[in-house]
Amino acid sequence: MSKDSQMRAAINQKLIEMGERERLKELMRAKLVECGWKDQLKAHCKDVIIEKGLEHVTVEDLVTEVTPKGRALVPDSVKKELLQRIRAFLA
Amino acid sequence: MKMEDMPLSGPDNTRLEALVHDIYSELVDDACLGLSFEVHRAVKQGYFFLDETDQESMKEFEIVDQPGVDIFGQVYNQWKNKECECPNCKRLIAASRFAPHLEKCLGMGRNSSRIANRRLATNNTMSKSESDQEDNDDLNDNDWSYGNQTSPRRSKSLKHKNGTYFFRCRHYNYSSGINYETLGPDEVRSVLTTGCVMPRCPGRSQRCPQHTDEQRRAARVFLLGRPPPLPDVDAVMESDTFDIPDGQSLMSRLQWEDSPDVSPTDSASSKATCCAQNEAKTLRSRSSAQKMVFIENKLNVKHCAPPRKLYSSRTRYALFRNTAERRGEAREAARGGQFEDVMFGHF
Repeated sequence: MSKDSQMRAAINQKLIEMGERERLKELMRAKLVECGWKDQLKAHCKDVIIEKGLEHVTVEDLVTEVTPKGRALVPDSVKKELLQRIRAFLA
Repeated sequence: MKMEDMPLSGPDNTRLEALVHDIYSELVDDACLGLSFEVHRAVKQGYFFLDETDQESMKEFEIVDQPGVDIFGQVYNQWKNKECECPNCKRLIAASRFAPHLEKCLGMGRNSSRIANRRLATNNTMSKSESDQEDNDDLNDNDWSYGNQTSPRRSKSLKHKNGTYFFRCRHYNYSSGINYETLGPDEVRSVLTTGCVMPRCPGRSQRCPQHTDEQRRAARVFLLGRPPPLPDVDAVMESDTFDIPDGQSLMSRLQWEDSPDVSPTDSASSKATCCAQNEAKTLRSRSSAQKMVFIENKLNVKHCAPPRKLYSSRTRYALFRNTAERRGEAREAARGGQFEDVMFGHF
């Protein structure tokens, strides 16, 4: 497994060095805004904030609320496209 | 650009896929984190809920789409026919003229001070004319009639009957000079005292440049009905008590134009009128203050007359002597006419 982790580390490093990671990130953001994922999640945030109270919201609260929902809400098309791009890069 | 080739064996494939998925998950988590930071900042800075307004405000600011009205629902020309009351002069002014009117009324606009200063200057020079020695302007006194007391300026100037000036600051009309027919006795006295006696002469000085001393002497004889006394000091005293002949005889003598004696005078005065008119053109374009200076300068050059105030005869004589000395011996030759002009200038 250490080989695996080594491999992962190497790949990640490569991704960053070549700027691919940044490009993938920007692509991800654009796609999620385009498909309305961001607005959906924002609305969910609003509910959380109102629930928790405006003054007492913390970053951790938001993060724990947002992340699982966010992962679930990503449309399949976006997911597929990104996976393809990563595979293409690694191959 | 590609990674080094990995052997695509079965387990490796799955590992690869797993790897790809992991990378993907990382990207999604980054996006989520980014969003939550953004929202949290918006909440803490207070702009998170800005796009939400209550229904009432939404209705109030709804876009209006009616004819004759803009999108805010306002009529755009409703102030056209309204009138506003000026707080200064209490008049009703149309709305579109209100701002310029206020400018002039309150004296705060760009041009309003200019107009006000001009008005002040003319008023000042009116009151200044009492003390002013020189001729302030070569004026037409056509509009200067005895009975006309309508404008305040006229009544002001008519009050100064002690041998000082009748003053018109605005109407530089050089077309004709003094019109004796329209004057009353008091005014005639003053004119003969202060201005050029020649009829139709616009000159305000006793020694206007258009006429010679001989002409003036003749004019005085003609108008006043007696030859001027001999030039000595006693005669000066007499002249003080001179009184103007009654109006009738004076008026009858004023058929000046027909008299053959007067033709040189006429030509002289018509010439004078021409020159005077040219002067008038230049002068009209300047401010009243400039006009004063201009005329004073002009007259200074031509007239070295003694001061115009009404002095005693002794003083006058002394002054005359002084001016004569200043002018030099050459002028003393013409002493005859000069002296009597000075002496008998004040009746």
